[in-house]
Amino acid sequence: MPKDYTEFDQMIISASRLVKDTDVIYTGVGFPIEAAILAKNLHAPNCTIVLENGIVRASMFRLPWTTDTMESQLLAEQLTSLTYVNCLAQAGYITLGFMGGGQVDRYGNVNDHVVGDYYKPVHRWFGSGGANDLMSFCRRTVIILEQSKRRFPEKVDFNTCPGFFDGRPNRRKEVGLPPDNGPVAVITNLATFTFENSEMTLKTVHMSCGITPEKVKAELGWDIKVAEDLSDTLPPTEEELQVYREKIVAARRFERRGRGASMR
Amino acid sequence: MSSKVMKLDEAVRNNVKPGDLLFIGGAIHASPSAAVAEIVRQRINHLTVVAILANTSPLVGEGLVDKVLTAYSMTDEKRSFPLQRARNKFNVKVEFKEYSHFDIALALQAGYMGVPFMPTRSHLGSDMMKYNEDIQSIDCPFTGGQIGIVRAVVPDVGIIHVQRCDAEGNAQKWGTLGIDFEGINASKRVIITTEKIVSSDVIQRDPNRTIIPGFRVNAVVEQPFGAYPSHLAGCYDEGLAMIGGMQDEARWEKYINSLVYNVKDWNEYLENLKQASSPDFLNKLRIKNPLFSDPVITGI
Repeated sequence: MPKDYTEFDQMIISASRLVKDTDVIYTGVGFPIEAAILAKNLHAPNCTIVLENGIVRASMFRLPWTTDTMESQLLAEQLTSLTYVNCLAQAGYITLGFMGGGQVDRYGNVNDHVVGDYYKPVHRWFGSGGANDLMSFCRRTVIILEQSKRRFPEKVDFNTCPGFFDGRPNRRKEVGLPPDNGPVAVITNLATFTFENSEMTLKTVHMSCGITPEKVKAELGWDIKVAEDLSDTLPPTEEELQVYREKIVAARRFERRGRGASMR
Repeated sequence: MSSKVMKLDEAVRNNVKPGDLLFIGGAIHASPSAAVAEIVRQRINHLTVVAILANTSPLVGEGLVDKVLTAYSMTDEKRSFPLQRARNKFNVKVEFKEYSHFDIALALQAGYMGVPFMPTRSHLGSDMMKYNEDIQSIDCPFTGGQIGIVRAVVPDVGIIHVQRCDAEGNAQKWGTLGIDFEGINASKRVIITTEKIVSSDVIQRDPNRTIIPGFRVNAVVEQPFGAYPSHLAGCYDEGLAMIGGMQDEARWEKYINSLVYNVKDWNEYLENLKQASSPDFLNKLRIKNPLFSDPVITGI
């Protein structure tokens, strides 16, 4: 039987598997919130989802089109401020951060500012928003984004959200960041990566989507470290696909043009 | 009637001055859109704007903003028509000072607290510090390690839109608050636009909901749908926002004329929206199934 899911569906489902039932998740809009809500509908019904504008929810809610909507506010356990939710995170009470990013480099540093010179950029994104706060504070951070060589340079031109800097030990502690925090995984439409000794490491390849390790390597800006136990990404289970379609795909308000996540 | 209750044009004229540092409240939720349009109408310029996720494009595109304190803005004019327009048509440079969202919240928190800076673990090790002297890292006097600091921001004037407020300016807001509490309490002069002016008794029966007390408020403006097209908790859902669609001069002029210059005030703008779509256009945005909380009990 031909597979009936895309590599982007695999990406969101793989990311959702990283949520534990006990997690408190600070999530950004787009793929991250889709993965968080999917997890809550599957294996992590008791997780709490925290949205930047001041929404703290343990109760279920439908996928909103952006973080703050009438529905994402409705019947939340707590509506508060951006300051409050970031204080929760800064004080160590948020266990998991889910975010996107403009670029990610070899040591998990994220660039949401510029390619090239800051004042004369070749490319420009919107800036940190809450991303720097999220990655600085959350106990574990997962970065979810579409993979291309352009998005994965060996070293970012601008470090918006520090991961492990140049990979030397203790760099986070030296600058004052909570030393045990930082990125733990990068999930793309091609593969999943973890961090071994602060370095991004290829862990699984979305083989069931027709992705090969060569394809993954071709869309990275450096010679990636490969895990000894490199394996195929576990394909979506029937249950995962069914819930994904009911709770995520059906609730999407805008089609992602050219991105290939399935719409039905 | 209190002297604080006034029309929006008067509130803006009396309180927003050229060169001001202006706090615009709302963050996706509850933006003071009517007030922003009025500032454009009065063409109050050389503003420095501090805001997060508020629609500042009308101000920027009309050349009224010299500087933006922001965590999330398109600062590249190739990809921002309002910015292009400010620079080309009005010869305004528009500088950006970039923070993280929490940094902005803390800058206003410091302003509200009356202290020169706030410590934080945000922005540590980030390149943002290289381009913004108001976010730094220092030796912590207590723990020995590095700690981030954010310089206080004290807006000359702040504007928020709320659900209810009394004639004295005791303003109550609910739903997500973004940075409204810090921003409005940091501001020297305060304009409250409100869906409804209510009696003081309504306020006093639920005083924990008051976001800023009357004595801190300079102007109170009753402005229904004052946050359109953003949503407002307990009142109405979002309307169709202008997302993109004004990336050239012709479309910009059509947009800004309909929003500001071809109407005398926000109410006329709302009337025109109804005429352009349907008479019940705004009513359709109102919440359909209001839920009431158990009453908050006070008394002796």
